[in-house]
Amino acid sequence: MKSEVLYPGAFPMVRVELVSGEHIKAESGAMVGSSPTVDVESKMEGGFLGALSRKLLTGEKFFFQTLRASRGPGEVLLAPTVPGEIVILELDGVNEYMVQKDGFLAGADTVNIESKMQSLSRGLLGGEGFFILKIGGKGTLVLNSFGAIHKIELKPDQEYIVDNSHLVAWSATTSYNIEKAASGWVASFTSGEGLVCRFRGPGIVYIQSRNPGSFGAWIRQFIPVSE
Amino acid sequence: MTTTFSPNALCFGEEFPASGAPCLVHIEGDGLTITHEPTVSISPSERVLFTELAVSVGGLDHDQLVLKWGEGAQARTLYLKHSDLIRAFREAAPEHLNQPFEQAAERVRQMRHRHRVMWASVGGAILAVVLGLWFGADLLIELAVSRIPVEWEQKLGEAAYRDFLSHQEVMKEGPAVKAVEEMTQRLAEQIPNNPYTFQVTVVKSDVVNAFALPGGYVVVFTGLMKKADSGEEVAGVLGHELNHVLQRHGLERIVKNLGVMAAVSILVGDQQGLVGLMRQVGVELLTLTFDRAQETEADLTGLQLVYRAKIDPHGMITFFQKLSEKDEGRMEWLSTHPMSSARADRLKAELAALPKRSSEPFTFEWKTVQEALGVQPVAVP
Repeated sequence: MKSEVLYPGAFPMVRVELVSGEHIKAESGAMVGSSPTVDVESKMEGGFLGALSRKLLTGEKFFFQTLRASRGPGEVLLAPTVPGEIVILELDGVNEYMVQKDGFLAGADTVNIESKMQSLSRGLLGGEGFFILKIGGKGTLVLNSFGAIHKIELKPDQEYIVDNSHLVAWSATTSYNIEKAASGWVASFTSGEGLVCRFRGPGIVYIQSRNPGSFGAWIRQFIPVSE
Repeated sequence: MTTTFSPNALCFGEEFPASGAPCLVHIEGDGLTITHEPTVSISPSERVLFTELAVSVGGLDHDQLVLKWGEGAQARTLYLKHSDLIRAFREAAPEHLNQPFEQAAERVRQMRHRHRVMWASVGGAILAVVLGLWFGADLLIELAVSRIPVEWEQKLGEAAYRDFLSHQEVMKEGPAVKAVEEMTQRLAEQIPNNPYTFQVTVVKSDVVNAFALPGGYVVVFTGLMKKADSGEEVAGVLGHELNHVLQRHGLERIVKNLGVMAAVSILVGDQQGLVGLMRQVGVELLTLTFDRAQETEADLTGLQLVYRAKIDPHGMITFFQKLSEKDEGRMEWLSTHPMSSARADRLKAELAALPKRSSEPFTFEWKTVQEALGVQPVAVP
């Protein structure tokens, strides 16, 4: 699997080259175009119950699609639903990433994806919901974000504070706590930040430059109210 | 190198990338050997003694063993994740190194326990809410229905009523219509603060049935009137149907069909959006059946109404009994009003509890009404 990001910026697309017989998994509905040698299959990753739990719990689509170059080499074009950047990671088999539910776009078949329940406080307050994806294994992983993706590198014990709901992915070696943005509750919410996540290294945190929830709230005011 | 490099840990330090460098850790004798990936520009392998190590626990779920050694630019942090490796370390490492690990493990255990307790209580709370909704649904629906204005109910009922009558042969005048009007008037007079104007229509059909729509629209089929042996019997059925209207049973069924969410939105005040939804359901009004509790309520309040109107309540009971006997002919009232002798018995018991009271006859002759409907007088042998 060789991949490159086309048109980097707000409306990017990924081109993935597959050798004959190779296959990748992608978020269902992500395929834009492909060579005629590539077949689209839907596959319930982790079996029926796994897929069901992922659908019910993370809100992630029930099926991933499998794109298989079954009749010779070919290429696939993939794009996310929302405007925003795409980042390609190479997983080394040891590093694992936690990915918020909308962040996964595609991955090599050797990449493992599982739903994971967060703790109550992280689930309620972290802005990613109770269930996130834990992605490990070895191979290429393609993530997408809403807005631009910013990478934060943390040395051991280095800390960084991220507004909740700006998170895209973070390595499993980091840990985070939910905190009030300001010292008092009132100041926390009147500042517009509310709750933040305090990350502690080592590891990498990918954040998105836009907050989908806030964008939704903003756009809602322009939608005409129907009778 | 002939063998493939399969790392089992992540090493962090000044010269490594922020995501950590994959490395291979071996636990041997009094320390560990760390082998780096051949591409890394530093010495491919290093040996660290247990005595140099500081042990703690880290990672998102506090499930990784963190080993630290060195100072300044030489400071290294190692994250062990594989449980086999962690077990090997604990077996080989001296006692004092395992102590912080045991403490950390204890903390993790406590935290997991706390999480379990928290999730259990959240689950319990959700279950309680669901159960509350399940069993409190009737109460919720009643509350919601009481918020719906009568004018709406009338609009809703009227639409279905007009729709129904457009396909039927309506009896406009004659003794039967007069008789039904008199019954309705006598019954309606006995309803205090009645918000409804009852509109009763006689429809020519052999169906033995009568039904009420929300808003006070009642239909009586001539088949039912032919089947009845007295005006009092028909009045009993009317009393029952009028009480379906008064108790707003139809609305309750609609709101129930729309679901608890509808009830909640009515209660919190979003009534406008519901009108459209209810219009849709209004079409189904005619096929609406009432539940057992509603039927019983309409029976009892109907009996009381008939009693107050000084109409002989025995008519209601005899008619119910008649319907409960397996009879030939189309007994539609039975299908929408499942009749049982228990129902008639309950009414009998209820009537026995009421003080005896003389009843006033109707001004019409039932025989004339029936003859007008085309019933042949039965010759008494």
